[in-house]
Amino acid sequence: MTATRGRRQSPLLRIRGDLDRRWRLGLAVGGLGLVIAIWAIAAANTANGSSLLPTPAATVKAIGGLWTDGVLSTDLWASSKRILIGYSISVAVGTVVGLAIGSFVSIEAFFEAQIGFLRYIPASALTPILLLWLGIGESPKIWLIVIGTVFFNILMIADVARAVPRELLNASYTLGAGRRTVMRRVILRHSVPGIIDAARVNLAAAWLMLVVAELLAAEEGLAYQIVRAQRFRAVDTMFALLIVFGVIGLASDLFLRWLRNVSAPWARP
Amino acid sequence: MGPAVKKLTVEGVSKVFRSRRSEVIALSGVDLHVDDGELVCLLGASGCGKSTLLSIIGGLEPATSGEVRVEGDLVVGPAADRGMVFQGYSLFPWLSVARNIEFGLEIAKWPTARRKERVEELLGIMSLNDFAGALPRELSGGMRQRVAIARSLAPEPDLLLLDEPFGALDAQTKKHLQDFLLSVWRRTGATILMVTHDVEEAVYLSSRIYVMASKPGRIAEEIIVPFGDNRGATIKRDPRFLDLRDELSDLLD
Repeated sequence: MTATRGRRQSPLLRIRGDLDRRWRLGLAVGGLGLVIAIWAIAAANTANGSSLLPTPAATVKAIGGLWTDGVLSTDLWASSKRILIGYSISVAVGTVVGLAIGSFVSIEAFFEAQIGFLRYIPASALTPILLLWLGIGESPKIWLIVIGTVFFNILMIADVARAVPRELLNASYTLGAGRRTVMRRVILRHSVPGIIDAARVNLAAAWLMLVVAELLAAEEGLAYQIVRAQRFRAVDTMFALLIVFGVIGLASDLFLRWLRNVSAPWARP
Repeated sequence: MGPAVKKLTVEGVSKVFRSRRSEVIALSGVDLHVDDGELVCLLGASGCGKSTLLSIIGGLEPATSGEVRVEGDLVVGPAADRGMVFQGYSLFPWLSVARNIEFGLEIAKWPTARRKERVEELLGIMSLNDFAGALPRELSGGMRQRVAIARSLAPEPDLLLLDEPFGALDAQTKKHLQDFLLSVWRRTGATILMVTHDVEEAVYLSSRIYVMASKPGRIAEEIIVPFGDNRGATIKRDPRFLDLRDELSDLLD
């Protein structure tokens, strides 16, 4: 028998190894399947299950129910609209302030202390104050989303701006570019994929803030529907709504990833 | 402005980096000049302040004292009259080769037709025609530096400053690009000041060499290279080339 040297690399458990498509898909389906299986078994073995832990089948049926009741159109839209408005403001402010902080030491010095302090105040603790100031309409919910995410966006986008290589700035200056041109055509441009990545990461916090706001005061919205379902002990509906949250999150993540690749093909991995 | 005005003069330039605890004199009383159409090298070991000096000439960093003049005008900041090429990573990764070259022309507001013409011309000079639409990441290191040189030449600078432009390249590509630079220099009549730590490169390319010494960074010697403008690779076997190379190597130690 021939002697061997070196350790054979395992195809599946190789650190940073490649995986072919079929394995990748198979493992993904297996992972999801396992969760559903555990859920199904647990539901089947829970005494009085239908009122505490619904089966996967009952949950799917409840999703259908959400659709026919119009919850998926009115409440999903109500929640999504709050996220769209609030998070757009947050990303816009985060981009402007973040790029400015990352580019100018003077602006960094100006904002450092205030942001360093403000970002440690849990935004959800502001809910009662916002309700007091702004009433129970749409604006406290939108502002809670803004306050709960804008500092993360600012700080992450400032780092994105700091990561623009100095060589690019120097090259631009020696090609005759002024400060405005460098900001717009170099720093902003180079930061586009990083800004989208920051927005992707912090979007989860936006949904968190939305739920906090809707749980406390709302007449429509996905989290409001969860509270309502609790009153009727409709756990299947509550589970269905959780799944809706997960699906929206996944869809928006995929969308932002797509947007990143389309808007900055040069930065594709 | 008379004919006696030099393309570039550096007078008494010093640079001190101060931090809370220490003070490092990076450059001390540097004087040098470059005449119109000359190719001059700044040769020195790493850490002698040669790149700092080039940044000061480019206007990217202020000098602590002393002054830099281009055609008699005092340099106070960066501008397109002093094109610069860096060691690497300086191309805009989202712009194609042609658009990278065009960048400075857009800023200088050249009319579109003239811009296209100039880009075409430079693509030709740099043998980059087939890569006009490529992104920088699709190019080899040597080609990227060719694009960087073309981009800095595009707005017709008075002076081209090269900061170890071939430092990160393999020996073969480096040789190739050195010949390339010589031919570009002859064809365009550009005035070039190049920083390098490579003795052979300095002797092969330049008509004059400023040798720098460190701690503090200063000009130790000025050497006239005795070969004409129309040099080829054969001068590398000339005994005078070898003598000069050895002499300079000793100076750097």
